[in-house]
Amino acid sequence: MRKYVFIFKSEVMSSLQYIWNILFGFLGYLVILFIFFQLWQYLYSDPSQVIHGYTMEEMVWYVIVTEVLWSSLGGRKLCMKISNDVKSGNIAYNLCKPYSYIGYALSSHLGSILLKFIIYVILGMSLGLLFLGSFPSISILSILVVLLSSILATIISTLLITFIGLFAFKIEDANPFYWLYSKFILVLGTIFPVEFFPQVIRPILQYSPIFAVTYGPAKLFVHFTLENAIEVLCIQGIYLVISYLLCLWLYKKGVKNLNVNGG
Amino acid sequence: MLTAVKNQGKISILSIKYALMKEMLNKTTFLTNVIFMILNNASFIIQWIVLYSIQDNIGGYTFQQVLLLWGVAAGSYGVSHFFFENAYELAETITDGKLDAYIVQPKNILLSAITSKVKTSALGDLLYAYIMCVVVARSFSSILLFTFLIICGGIILTGIAVILGSLSFWFKRADMVAEAGNGWMTNFANYPDGIFKGVVKVLLYTLIPVGIVNYIPVQLLTHFRLSNLGIVVGFASVIILLAFIVFYRGLKRYSSSNLMSMRI
Repeated sequence: MRKYVFIFKSEVMSSLQYIWNILFGFLGYLVILFIFFQLWQYLYSDPSQVIHGYTMEEMVWYVIVTEVLWSSLGGRKLCMKISNDVKSGNIAYNLCKPYSYIGYALSSHLGSILLKFIIYVILGMSLGLLFLGSFPSISILSILVVLLSSILATIISTLLITFIGLFAFKIEDANPFYWLYSKFILVLGTIFPVEFFPQVIRPILQYSPIFAVTYGPAKLFVHFTLENAIEVLCIQGIYLVISYLLCLWLYKKGVKNLNVNGG
Repeated sequence: MLTAVKNQGKISILSIKYALMKEMLNKTTFLTNVIFMILNNASFIIQWIVLYSIQDNIGGYTFQQVLLLWGVAAGSYGVSHFFFENAYELAETITDGKLDAYIVQPKNILLSAITSKVKTSALGDLLYAYIMCVVVARSFSSILLFTFLIICGGIILTGIAVILGSLSFWFKRADMVAEAGNGWMTNFANYPDGIFKGVVKVLLYTLIPVGIVNYIPVQLLTHFRLSNLGIVVGFASVIILLAFIVFYRGLKRYSSSNLMSMRI
């Protein structure tokens, strides 16, 4: 475990060198939030209106939390890195190193996004306060649970994207699969809560990765109840195990067929 | 003069052709990129179905008009990224000293640099754009007008990318500014202008000209007005001119340390 903590720490230190990149990246996030704020302001012509159980304030906070989780993740870069590691044969260097590639990918990616995550949380909350003028009424304990759930969501997302990146063992470029996955999360899990979709598909969405990576933590932030918290954490626990096992399975299957020509 | 333009055109087409041939070496990857990009764009239809289940009209746009807006946005993006992908990497090309390879070529440096790479997935954007156009517009004249408008849009997007990328001649970290600026053009492009108010709306027709690349073309496709077409064509011409001026002014400041690299 200590070696993974070391990789994590090294990546955190390295990300400190790119603070400007993070702040410029935030400009993109700011625009997305601004667009959604305008959109919801337009749709909620009466600010006291409730649509599918959400007020305008709750909708804006929901989008802020899901966007913090998704935008700070840097999924495209991670998928590209894993896919390139496989394509270029770099992955072969890891075979002789005393760590698991999945553990390395996870700890290095989490280390590289920690600072970004913290900055996005602070700036996202400040923006919400600026747009709406107040925070949702939420206790300190609830904030801690939401934070724990957000960390779990980030770990699960990282593992699921690593799994997609490892598709490169089968098809040279795994990025198109990532586009589809990211749009699945973005359209069905970031912009609207599950309640906005037709009754027929809600159960499917509720137990899809969307629940673990975006909807769960955001729902807890806007509508916190103890039952919801237990349900979200339990489902995240299950997804954590499943996504790790999927990565491990695909990696083991992939390296068996690995051919590296020269170097 | 005319022969020089013709020759340059031939060279640019050849450059794009060879870049495309390189991308097509792996057929499966090529096809996956194109097909998945179409699916990727189509997934946003779900978002609009949900939004239109709340209200019949969003920002003055019907559902059909939003599909057309997506078509225009994807088309302009597709034209720009397919033919001129390297315009989006111009900042890194300048910073890393990779412009040397284009300077020694006997043709237009800017055109050689920006046409040296194609983005395969942008073909998916272009196909998706035409699908949307055919679904909504359904007439040959509309498809012709659509083609003309997305070419103008693509040229404007490329011009903006060149201007932002050329800032690297003067500033460090201009790549981040370029990335943010190009990102803004894409982010605003997919939402009706009616949801924006005040200063933002003015910005969308000036500093961040999403209105000229996307909103006016949608208006033109639904209610044609010659004056609006003039705005799009005029703006595209001014942007091209500006892009060339900024790039060549900056080029005078360019120096490198004789980077040795191999382009395959």
